[in-house]
Amino acid sequence: MASKGAAPSTYTPTPTKKTRPPIFSDSDVDWLRPDGRGFHQCRPAFFRTGAVNSAAGSAYAEFGNTKVIVSVFGPRESKKAMMYSDVGRLNCNVSYTTFATPVRGQGSDNKEFSSMLHKALEGAIMLETFPKTTVDVFALVLESGGSDLPVVISCASLALADAGIMMYDLVAGVSVSCLGRNLIIDPILEEETFQDGSLIITCMPSRYEVTQLTISGEWSTAKLNEAMELCLDACSKLAKIMRSCLKEAASASQD
Amino acid sequence: MVGLSLGEKHFIQGGIDQNIRSDGRKRDTYRPISVETGVIPQANGSARIRIGATEVIASVKAELGRPDALQPDQGKVAIFVDCSPVAEPMFEGRGGEELSTELSVVLQHCLLGGKSGAGAGIDLSSLIVAEGKICWDLYIDGLVISSDGNLLDALGAAIKAALSNTGIPRVQVAAGALGDEQPEVDISDEEFLQFDTSGVPVIVTLTKVGRHYIVDATSEEESQMSSAVSVSINRKGHICGLSKRGSAGLDPSVISDMISVARHISEQLINKLDSEISAAEAGEDEM
Repeated sequence: MASKGAAPSTYTPTPTKKTRPPIFSDSDVDWLRPDGRGFHQCRPAFFRTGAVNSAAGSAYAEFGNTKVIVSVFGPRESKKAMMYSDVGRLNCNVSYTTFATPVRGQGSDNKEFSSMLHKALEGAIMLETFPKTTVDVFALVLESGGSDLPVVISCASLALADAGIMMYDLVAGVSVSCLGRNLIIDPILEEETFQDGSLIITCMPSRYEVTQLTISGEWSTAKLNEAMELCLDACSKLAKIMRSCLKEAASASQD
Repeated sequence: MVGLSLGEKHFIQGGIDQNIRSDGRKRDTYRPISVETGVIPQANGSARIRIGATEVIASVKAELGRPDALQPDQGKVAIFVDCSPVAEPMFEGRGGEELSTELSVVLQHCLLGGKSGAGAGIDLSSLIVAEGKICWDLYIDGLVISSDGNLLDALGAAIKAALSNTGIPRVQVAAGALGDEQPEVDISDEEFLQFDTSGVPVIVTLTKVGRHYIVDATSEEESQMSSAVSVSINRKGHICGLSKRGSAGLDPSVISDMISVARHISEQLINKLDSEISAAEAGEDEM
């Protein structure tokens, strides 16, 4: 699917001027990333909207081996059992195919992803534009190749835009792993298995607002700031790729 | 769910703006914290923490198990949180499930460090008995008995107290087990090893109401929040985990500011907790 259409573009952040010189320059380090990328280099990002016909909106995203599909249904009437609400509801679900992970069925370990997707998106959606109704966001990870959650979140916000749900801005998600002294952006599955810490940021770049931030592992302040800057820069670039994908789809439908 | 009238909402928000909250506290003061250890005799370690009207129990149980094939030199720790309907009728049936998973996941992130085990508050390699064969499995269970806001900080503190109360029996491994054979073990019921808890972080939740943020929010104050950031910080001042709740987005500079405020508050909280824990342990010994 990635082979046709526009060439995949990357969203590698540009180095900030303030960063201190790295302890090792990239060439001195005795290990390379398994896929040959630099530490601060992202995988090519590929997006396509309209992946599922029956959904109100949908999107497919492919970042290296990570492949996800998200469909959005609604706004439709909330279930009868739900209490009246003058703002809309957002219902998110992230699931893995049984063949998504190296060991079959391992994806069900990530139970918290659904609530994290919800938290990342709810701040961006104008819920008051669809009172008494629910929007369902269903994400399916076809292949888990690392950085699954950020890809799911970015893809979901694209699917919401495709469905015509009013949002303040697109939500882009990027993660950084900390391995020893090095920060590596957009980690793949192997790197995630051995990471000492991880940081996931999802943000609305035009508003420069962080909708969700999750950190695990031990971080010093300097490292944390460096990682956050790196992520925010990558987020804004990723959002540009997402926006161009939407524009492409819109101009294609006009022709 | 907290039902508040418009007037009450304004009262809470106005109070926070003027740095005097409904119960007379300032924005950065905690409610009184009381610690009681050894409350569950059947567990290896336990503690009850009360912060205002919020009350939680944490228990630590140790069982012998087999280490993971991928990490043969580390023990295993599992953290679960249960929100009992005793605390709130909302938690009945599956109602508390979402909150329970959320709290468990955040606590796991905060206490267990990265995937490789680096930066973990609990030293997993101290749980090993015979490398690759026998290790201790720690089961840490949190129970919410009464909920009046700030559950995460209370649970974090309770787990810290429970761990420092934990005694793990000394194990003698019989020599002579060959190859894949499981060696025989002799678990002492008199000698217990104390657990090193100096690296266990505390969790500080800053709740943003209006333009200001407050610590230790009550559930009434939590109902007025726009977002909340929970930071776990260890004694060295390093961040061991962070998570954000609430729908509103935050400016990155605000987050950095919140982290530095949380670090400042964590110092006081760690000292306060440590003195409370040692007082509780001393009180327990006297009885």
